[in-house]
Amino acid sequence: MGGVYSYFKSLFGNREMRILILGLDGAGKTTILYRLQVGEVVTTIPTIGFNVEQVTYKNLTFQVWDLGGQTSIRPYWRCYYSNTDAIIYVVDSSDRDRIGISKEELLAMLKEEELRDAILVILANKQDMENCMSVAEVHRALGLENLKDRTFQIFKTSAKEGEGLNDSMDWLSNALQSKL
Amino acid sequence: MYTLVSGFYKYMLQKDEFCVLILGLDNAGKTTYLESAKTKFTKNYKGMNPSKITTTVGLNIGQIDINTVRLNFWDLGGQLELQSLWDKYYAECHALIYVVDSNDRDRIAESKETFDKMISNENLIGVPLLVLANKQDIRDCMGVREVKPIFNKNSAHLIGRRDCMVMPVSALTGEGIDEGIRWLVECIKRNCDVRPPRNLEDT
Repeated sequence: MGGVYSYFKSLFGNREMRILILGLDGAGKTTILYRLQVGEVVTTIPTIGFNVEQVTYKNLTFQVWDLGGQTSIRPYWRCYYSNTDAIIYVVDSSDRDRIGISKEELLAMLKEEELRDAILVILANKQDMENCMSVAEVHRALGLENLKDRTFQIFKTSAKEGEGLNDSMDWLSNALQSKL
Repeated sequence: MYTLVSGFYKYMLQKDEFCVLILGLDNAGKTTYLESAKTKFTKNYKGMNPSKITTTVGLNIGQIDINTVRLNFWDLGGQLELQSLWDKYYAECHALIYVVDSNDRDRIAESKETFDKMISNENLIGVPLLVLANKQDIRDCMGVREVKPIFNKNSAHLIGRRDCMVMPVSALTGEGIDEGIRWLVECIKRNCDVRPPRNLEDT
């Protein structure tokens, strides 16, 4: 009987993880998605709608959704929330003017019941730019100290240079595995 | 009548929720300690492989139940840059765990300095404090006898009348975790009048 149970458990346990990449327009979401998938920088245009790709990282397969970040299409993010295991929230660290808007979108999103158990990774992207915000600055600007009931981790990344992405995927896959 | 009974039943099952802050320099073993505590007090929890634990930049949370008490842990990143974020959590915490790497003699002074700065914050006055001399599994590390005087030095007035204890632990092997947490729970209960449980604050 126990065998049957563990068989079914492993069936469910091995389901593909569903990850959303979110953030304001121009944060670098699409560049990150394709960096993860093909390991190269691709030329992107603003995403209207979404890109979805299967990403394999160290024997783990993820279904990664990159949703368009423009103001007019942000309300549609919520259509994709159900069954999400993790959220990768991308911030343009050089865009101090709009970090406040980014904060509001993040907080509004985290209030959603469907995302209650989702793991949160924040990518402080565009670290290759001069005069960009540090991790502590991003933490403060996004008001993350109010987020006391959820595990999250911030990574400095540069999608252009490919920096920090492997670290963040390492952390994410460990966090997802220990959640099972 | 039903409401009365069910209300009473809920009241009986309700746990008092407290928040415990885990601080210390980077690489002191805070996250490993949290994982170890979760493993000890949670049935069927496997815990993350210690070799896979990386530097925390952000927050790890954990929850454990001990009898009628529920502890919520906040494990914050310890890097210098991130220490400026610690004080945002002071006002809401019910207890403090400060983790020290007993094997890092080079940074023990830095750890003490950070400790003093933290403990002198007025939002932490009276909060029970557990100092952990971690990494006792490593040979030749500093024992409690060595660590304790370092942290007591010139800090008596900052520590004040709060419950305070220095304990040896090994987050890696799990040694000393039980005792520390059980001691902390008793202190939190004693300090309940000053810092009531979180669930009571809400209602």
